[in-house]
Amino acid sequence: MSNHRLSTGGRIDRTRTIKFSFDGKALTGHPGDTLASALLANGIQLVGRSFKYHRPRGILTAGAAEPNALVTTGAGGRTEANTRATMIELHDGLIARSQNRWPSLAFDIGAANGLLSPFLSAGFYYKTFMWPAGFWEKVYEPLIRNAAGLGKATYEADPDAYEKCWAHCDLLVIGAGPAGLAAALTAGRAGARVLLADEGFALGGSLLTDGDATLTTILAELDALPNVQCLPRTTVIGWYDDNVFGAVERVQKHVALPDPHQPVERFWRIIAKQAILATGAEERPLVFGGNDIPGVMMASAMRSYLNRQAVAPGKRTVVFTTNDAGYRAAADLEAAGVDVAAIVDPRARSDAGWQGKAKVLANSCIVDAAGGKALRSVHIAGASGTQTIEADALAMSGGWSPIIHLACHRGAKPVWSERHAAFLAPERQEGLTIAGAASGHASTSACLGDGARKAAEALAAIGFARVEPTFLSADDTQAAATPFWYVKGSKGKAFVDYQNDVHLKDLGLAVREGYGDVELAKRYTTNGMATDQGKLSNINAIGILAEARGVSPAEVGTTTFRPFYTPVSFGALTGTSRAKHFQPARKSPLHEWAKKNGAVFVETGLWYRSAWFPRAGETTWRESVDREVLNIRKNAGLCDASTLGKIEIFGKDAATFLDRVYCNGFAKLPVGRARYGIMLREDGLIYDDGTTSRLSEDHFFMTTTTALAAGVLTHLEFCAQTLWPELEVHFASSTDQWAQMAIAGPKSRAILSEIVDEDISDAAFPFMSARTVSLFGGNLEGRLFRISFSGELAYELGVPAGYAESVADAIMQAGAKHDICAYGAEALGVLRIEKGHVTHAEINGTVTPGDLGFGRMVSTTKPDFIGKAMLTREGMQAADRPRLVGVKPINPETSFRTGSHILADGAAATLENDQGYVTSSCFSPNLGHTIGLALINNGPERLGEKVMIWNGLRNEFTEGVICSPVFIDPENEKLHA
Amino acid sequence: MPDFPTSRPVLAGKSARHGKGITLEALPEGHVLQVMGATTSADLRALLDSAGLTGSALRPAGYRQWYAVGDTPLDAQALQAIVTALPPGTYLSDQSHGRVRIRLSGTRATELLSKGTAVDLHDSAFSVGHTATTLFGHISVHLSRTGETEFELTVLRSFAEALYSELEELAA
Repeated sequence: MSNHRLSTGGRIDRTRTIKFSFDGKALTGHPGDTLASALLANGIQLVGRSFKYHRPRGILTAGAAEPNALVTTGAGGRTEANTRATMIELHDGLIARSQNRWPSLAFDIGAANGLLSPFLSAGFYYKTFMWPAGFWEKVYEPLIRNAAGLGKATYEADPDAYEKCWAHCDLLVIGAGPAGLAAALTAGRAGARVLLADEGFALGGSLLTDGDATLTTILAELDALPNVQCLPRTTVIGWYDDNVFGAVERVQKHVALPDPHQPVERFWRIIAKQAILATGAEERPLVFGGNDIPGVMMASAMRSYLNRQAVAPGKRTVVFTTNDAGYRAAADLEAAGVDVAAIVDPRARSDAGWQGKAKVLANSCIVDAAGGKALRSVHIAGASGTQTIEADALAMSGGWSPIIHLACHRGAKPVWSERHAAFLAPERQEGLTIAGAASGHASTSACLGDGARKAAEALAAIGFARVEPTFLSADDTQAAATPFWYVKGSKGKAFVDYQNDVHLKDLGLAVREGYGDVELAKRYTTNGMATDQGKLSNINAIGILAEARGVSPAEVGTTTFRPFYTPVSFGALTGTSRAKHFQPARKSPLHEWAKKNGAVFVETGLWYRSAWFPRAGETTWRESVDREVLNIRKNAGLCDASTLGKIEIFGKDAATFLDRVYCNGFAKLPVGRARYGIMLREDGLIYDDGTTSRLSEDHFFMTTTTALAAGVLTHLEFCAQTLWPELEVHFASSTDQWAQMAIAGPKSRAILSEIVDEDISDAAFPFMSARTVSLFGGNLEGRLFRISFSGELAYELGVPAGYAESVADAIMQAGAKHDICAYGAEALGVLRIEKGHVTHAEINGTVTPGDLGFGRMVSTTKPDFIGKAMLTREGMQAADRPRLVGVKPINPETSFRTGSHILADGAAATLENDQGYVTSSCFSPNLGHTIGLALINNGPERLGEKVMIWNGLRNEFTEGVICSPVFIDPENEKLHA
Repeated sequence: MPDFPTSRPVLAGKSARHGKGITLEALPEGHVLQVMGATTSADLRALLDSAGLTGSALRPAGYRQWYAVGDTPLDAQALQAIVTALPPGTYLSDQSHGRVRIRLSGTRATELLSKGTAVDLHDSAFSVGHTATTLFGHISVHLSRTGETEFELTVLRSFAEALYSELEELAA
């Protein structure tokens, strides 16, 4: 290994040494290095193995498009696979490992794949692994996945923090090269709110390589402007509707030990009034035999390493170029004292301005490169014959492709430009303007002028008057570009897509076999897939396909650009929403009361509901639930009903409004009374149910199911605002204002009488009464409702939420002598099934009121209500619809499960014979056997019929009988007690 | 007869947190009155003043909706007096227990808030007195700018602990 660091130059801090390791080997570098530049400085060219053929691969680029130098960094939970060495900022303690090799990078058994390469061409898998069919999933795919591939993810939890945030600006500038800096400066001076984001750790783009003196001045001025925020290390990864951009900031990816109070990555959602896309252009590789041997590099990358990090990758370099960029690289190399063996240029007339020492070979091409793990020589063919030149580095430049990905994220299609020999995106879209090299400009002065002018125009569009561009427009002097897609006559593999090992012949084969369409060719050959998404390869592939098909690249077109521009970690997308913050916990005002009474909680949506209250000696949930149910039917119980949705409805037209949203009548509901209501959807099927009470002439109180609390309020607002704006009606969600307690059981009245100041006898407060009551001797006001879900004599008491625990304690204290118990959602479920009351298990989106036995509730006199028209459709009234009934086992010792299907007695167990299913079931401790509610074809006409209850998933069969859904107190004597 | 009932603030156990440039504190569970209907901010202000609620702040909360908020609890009589004084077509829903107020202040308050809300909090877009109903992360809040570097978040009681815990973590 030799030292490739030049003795002077670069933007590195030579006074500080950074220690890092690669494949376990201890190495050093300096601040200002990337992992890639530090490896090159240490003489390491071989960095990875290719995806399919396990070919040795080196560092090709100096930026985000890197397809080869993918490494795994970190250890334990911080392990990160497939990171680009070119984008990793070198830091103390950095651990990097090569990937896709075994046992070592230098000696990789998988390289034997290369010998099989004649058989591994495009479409190989489709053609070869067709039979036997069953082998694909079990044998072939696991084998192939094991052999090919990239890094491996860790199974350990990531110890670091991530966060997401929002930002707003007048102008977002994406890319801090010449055009971006000029745009930001122009907008900054005009007083606009500016965000300038760049994926690099240093702002400047190509100016960092060119050593332009204006960079320092511009950066200093931007830094001094309070209205400009610079975001280095921030990749804008997507452009979304309403001019929202996604961006990932690498906040602490470059530090040895992250501060635990700071995120390692921050995901930005940037809402920009205008944006300038100044992302520059990507240099295109040249397609010739052996163009993937370590030592072959993009010319611009070589310049970048030379000028920014003072690293010369080779001692003797050959330049292969189709444009001026190669000459700039040659000039910089010679200026740094590096030997340039030759400049190979396929153009007939090479650049006239070349003044350097290196000889220029015009009309020539590099046909093949030789070397295994490092470049040894290149074979050149030209007008004057062939020759071989020894070299350990090769700088190539096949022209430039503007980086337009973001501009195409919302559907715009790139357009082929003959003059630029490149695809360009529409220069102006609403809210986004492309500037600089991304819009086809080449020289620094042209880019500066273009960025400044376009920023001024973008600001003018949002009302900034007379913005002065900070740089003058300048013309590009460069001649029109000539595309050069591949070198003819190469013997070795000429790679088009490095990351997926797609070479020239694969694309030709795709065209010959009928997959020449650009989207098909991508899938057939895998060109443009994986982590780099073809940033380097796509345009060459399009050119090659065009030539093979004999058409223009314009006709071939591009594949579709989609977010994200570069890979985004799951951590950044998750932000702080992990562990206990994965989703918010929603707690009832009786949560603490339930907790101290020993509740077991169940998550219901975001809510934590008390499910049952185990007592000493009870070992199963059923024991607790059975005890709670029996005690309520005998004595009394207290249950938290606070999670049900509650909506206050005000207005002089509130009664009319309710008449229209419920299928049953509400207009004549007297003050002080509650009514069970059923809300339909427009299609006539039930949407939600609940009780609504009239507290005064113009004030109603609606309850909804827990799950649909927000949905019903939205529905009401929609109806009021858009269907009937003429009605005066207002809504307020009061779900959280009221703690709601159900007190059920024959002794509930006796218990509540100790707390409620007023007479609540059956005469004074009969079934379905509802009104505000005085409590605790006038010390508190509450709302009392005589409603029952359990089928018992029961009340619901609402008190302001802060008083919940105190009032529940008081009820339990008053109820102690009546043997009151706390009960949870499970016992509530048993009680309501015993009584035949429905929930959303039965209201499953396919039932009409008639299906559930509420047919007579539906008003026939109201002029209209939501769902009325559709409810009259023939099918909605058909007699053989599945309708609500009860089911029970013939042998009480046997049981069945919810979801089981109903078969006619003797019918075969097939879906064709399905006659309905069990919607809810439980063990009834009062009856001593399992009971269920079911929706069965013609159910109510089949009471007493023997059926088979069939669970096809578990192959369980239970003989049952169809019965009334009301198992307890069918005469409703308890309710009216 | 059981004891006289007492109200328990949902964030009672949470002490104020002072971070770098951030102060986070739960406000007293005083009163939050949701007013809806055909009135104006000026008329409502006058109504509150005449009811002796000069210390209550009035926060717009959408089309013809407001929250009147303050640190002192109102008893049933005081509440009824306001309801009676409301002009026809205007209605009041007491949310004093349903909504919980959290104050966030300090030079880094907007930075912290930008981690949860998509509302533009720049002085030029959200000056003192501005309000917005928005999300903080996954939780719905009513956000008010009550000072140059002071904000109030009004949240449903059931989400108050989850929101406070999230804010505490971000303020660390």
